[in-house]
Amino acid sequence: MSRRQYLLVALILVVVAFPPGWYPLALRLEISRWFGAAAYLALPVSKPVETVGAEIYCPPDLAGWRSAFEIDGVNVSPSKTCLSDNPYSVATFVRGANNVSDDTLLKSGLAADAVTKGEDLDGDGDPDVIHIRLEVVELNGSSAESAEPVTQYEIAPGITPGLWVFAPKYLGMARENFESRKARSGLRPPSPVIRVEQGDRVVITLENTHYMPHTIHLHGADHGFVTATGQGNDGVPLTSELPLMPGKARSYELTPRQTGTMFYHCHVQPHVHVSMGLQGMFVIEENQPNNWLQTLNVGAGFVRSSSVAIAKKYDQEYDLHYTDLDLQLGQRVQSSNDPRLVTRSMHRDYDVTDATADYFLLNGKSFPYTFRESLIVTEPDEKIKLRVLNGGSKGISFHIHGHKFNLTHKDGVGVVPENQAAQDVIWLPTAQRVDLDLSTRNDGLHSYGAGIWLFHDHQNKGTTTDGIGPGGNISAVVYQEYMGLDGWPKTQGVSYEKFFSAEYYRKIIPVWQSYAPVLFSDPGTDWLMFGRILLLALAAGMSGAVLVSGSK
Amino acid sequence: MKGCKGRVLAMLYLPVIFSVILLSCASDISHDHSGHNMMLSEDGMVMNNNAHRLPFGCDVISKQYEFVVSAGRRYAADNPGAVFGMSQHDYRVEACSRISVVFSNEDEVRHQWMVHGLPKYLYPGGMFHLEAMAGKTIQGTFIVPAGDQTYLVHCDMAQHMEKGMKGQLVVGNGSGNLWNVYNTSDTFLKSEYLPAHTSRWVLLFAVIAFILTYGLLRR
Ligand SMILES: [Cu+2]
Ligand SMILES: [Cu+2]
Repeated sequence: MSRRQYLLVALILVVVAFPPGWYPLALRLEISRWFGAAAYLALPVSKPVETVGAEIYCPPDLAGWRSAFEIDGVNVSPSKTCLSDNPYSVATFVRGANNVSDDTLLKSGLAADAVTKGEDLDGDGDPDVIHIRLEVVELNGSSAESAEPVTQYEIAPGITPGLWVFAPKYLGMARENFESRKARSGLRPPSPVIRVEQGDRVVITLENTHYMPHTIHLHGADHGFVTATGQGNDGVPLTSELPLMPGKARSYELTPRQTGTMFYHCHVQPHVHVSMGLQGMFVIEENQPNNWLQTLNVGAGFVRSSSVAIAKKYDQEYDLHYTDLDLQLGQRVQSSNDPRLVTRSMHRDYDVTDATADYFLLNGKSFPYTFRESLIVTEPDEKIKLRVLNGGSKGISFHIHGHKFNLTHKDGVGVVPENQAAQDVIWLPTAQRVDLDLSTRNDGLHSYGAGIWLFHDHQNKGTTTDGIGPGGNISAVVYQEYMGLDGWPKTQGVSYEKFFSAEYYRKIIPVWQSYAPVLFSDPGTDWLMFGRILLLALAAGMSGAVLVSGSK
Repeated sequence: MKGCKGRVLAMLYLPVIFSVILLSCASDISHDHSGHNMMLSEDGMVMNNNAHRLPFGCDVISKQYEFVVSAGRRYAADNPGAVFGMSQHDYRVEACSRISVVFSNEDEVRHQWMVHGLPKYLYPGGMFHLEAMAGKTIQGTFIVPAGDQTYLVHCDMAQHMEKGMKGQLVVGNGSGNLWNVYNTSDTFLKSEYLPAHTSRWVLLFAVIAFILTYGLLRR
C-alpha cells in the first residue's frame, strides 16, 4: 500500500473509533439535532459479588485464659473480651518471676529474670526492689529468603506494617512455632505498660536484642539524670549517654517520688524510633500496704490485677495507649534485609517532615481487632479508671459515645475538683496523658444507659485504616447485657464479615456491597470503549509511521 | 440477625479449627512446654536433650561429635550486612551420630542455637533447642536420624536469623545447602547495591550505543 492509502485507513479508523463522548458538547448537540440521540446503550452492569474469606470474629479461648484465676496467691480478674492476656504472665508480673512456682513460670513463657521482686524496704508487706528486663523486637520485618514479612503481627486483617516494640523477656522462639510466621503471643505493640509503686527502687534493664541502637527515656517519671554510679540515666544520646548498641545491655534506675500516668520511649533518632513503636505507658501508683502491682501490662488495656489504691476507688481500670503509624516508614524495614541499607533508608532517606500517619492504633490494634480485646465491658453503676496516653505523631480528640467523663489527672498531676467538669471530648496533644473517671450511672449526664457505645479519636483520620473506614482506633464501651458469652458484643443486625477480611482493608471490596450488592458493587468494564481506544492507538501508530518514514 | 452468619459458619468450622490450632500452637498457646523435655537453669534452657534414644533406622551411634560454638556480635564482624553471628555456621556430621553442642553466648542479650526438622517422635516440635543467657554457656546433646538431610540451625529471636545467625547441619551427604549460610551459600533475595544515579548511566550508555550503531549502519 502507498503512504496515502495507509493514511486513509488511519483516518477511517479514527472516524469509526473516536468515542462520541470526546467530541465537544456543542458539536454533539448539533449532531443530535440533525440525526437525533444515539440509540440506547446501557452502562456496564455491576460486577458479581465476590465472596471474601472472613476470619472468625472471636477466636475460641482454647487455653481458657479469660476466666478468673488464682495463681500463686494472685487473684487474676476474669477478662470479658474475647482475647485476653495470659493469666500466668499476669501472676508472674505481680509476684515476680523469682517468686512464682516453676509451673507458673513455665506457663507464663517468661524468662526467670523477666521481672524480679526483692526486699520490702518500708516494711508494708510488698516488695519495693523491682527489676524489669525489656528486649527490643522487630515485628513484620524482612528476611533474605522471602518477600513475606517475618515475626508477623497484624494490626487489622491483612495489614502488617513494620514495627518495633520493647517486649518482656520471654524464653524461646519469637514465633508461635516453627511452622508459623506469626509472632508468639506477648510480642506485640504497644510496648508493655510498666507499673511501679511510689518509692519503689526500680531498675529497668534494656537488653538490646535488635539490630539497631536504642535507649529508654523515662518521660514524666521522676528519675535522676545519672545513676548512683554516674552512668547516664536519661536515655538521651545528646546529653547523657551513647545509644545502646545491638547485643548490649544497660540499666536505668529510678525511685519515683510522685504518682501518675507517665510515658517511656526510645530516644535514639526519636522521630523515627518512637513512631516505629518503641514507646509505652509508665504508671506510678500510690504507696499502699500489701500493694502487689502487675508490673507489666502486655498490650495495655484491661488491668487484670489492679493496685490497692485503684481497687479501693474503682471497679475497673484500663490503660489506653493511642499510637499511629506511617505506612511508608514501616515499609522501610521490610524493603531490605541489610541493616546498613535499612538504617540509611529510615534515618536519611525518610523525611518525617513530609510524613503522614496512615494507621491509627488503640493498644496496638485497629478496628475490628480492637473489638476482640480493647472493649470496655461494664455493668451499670460502675466507676472506671481510664489512663489515656497519646503516643501518636498528631493530637487525638478522644471521645466516648453515650457518656461524659471527668478529667482527674493531666500528665500524672491531679486536676483541682473545680476543673473536673464532665466532658465528652478531650484533646490530647502528642505525648500527653490524662486520667479519666468514667461513670456508668444512668443519669443522662455520665451515661445514657446500657448499650454498645463507641469510643475513638473524633478526628476523621483516626477512625480509618489507611483511609478505609471503619478502622483506626475505634473501640466501644459495652454494657454486660449487650455482651455475648464468647466475648463478642451483640451488635444490632450488623455483619462484621467484611471487616474481618483482608480484602476490605486492602481496598479490594466495595464498602457497601454487602448491603446493596447491585447498587453499590463495582461497575463492570466498558469493553466497547476500550476497543475504540485501542483502534485509535492503531491509527496513531500508523500515522506516526507514515510521518516518520519521510519523503521517499 | 444477619451478623450471625459468620458465627454460624464459625460454629461449623470450630472442630476443624480447634484441632488445627491445637496442633499448630501446641507449643505456645498456653505456653505449654509439657510436651517438650525442657531443662531450665539460670544459664538458660535446653529443650529435647537426647543422648541415648536412637532414631528409627539407626542401630548404633555411628560417631560422636562435639561442637564448641560461640555466639555474638563479634562473629558477625567479617560478614557484611550481618549484626549477630556464630563462630561456626556449617556443621557436617554422619547419619545416626551423637552431637554435643557447647554453646557460649558472648553478648549481653539472649541467643539460641536450635535445630529444626528433626523427627517429632523423638524431639517434640521437631526441634533441639539451646538458649544461653547473656555471657552464659549451655550444653546439650542430640542424635541425628539416618538419611541424608540438611537441617536448619538458627537463633529464633526476632531478626537474629535474618541478620546473621543462620547455619546448617548437614547429615550424611545432606540435601543441598540452605540459602544464606555465612561462608557457605549465597543470599536468595539480594538488596540493591548499585551506585547512586545508576539509571542515568544506563540511559547514557543506551544513547551512545544507539548513536554508534546508527553511524555504522549509515556508512
Ligand atoms: Cu530506638
Ligand atoms: Cu540470637
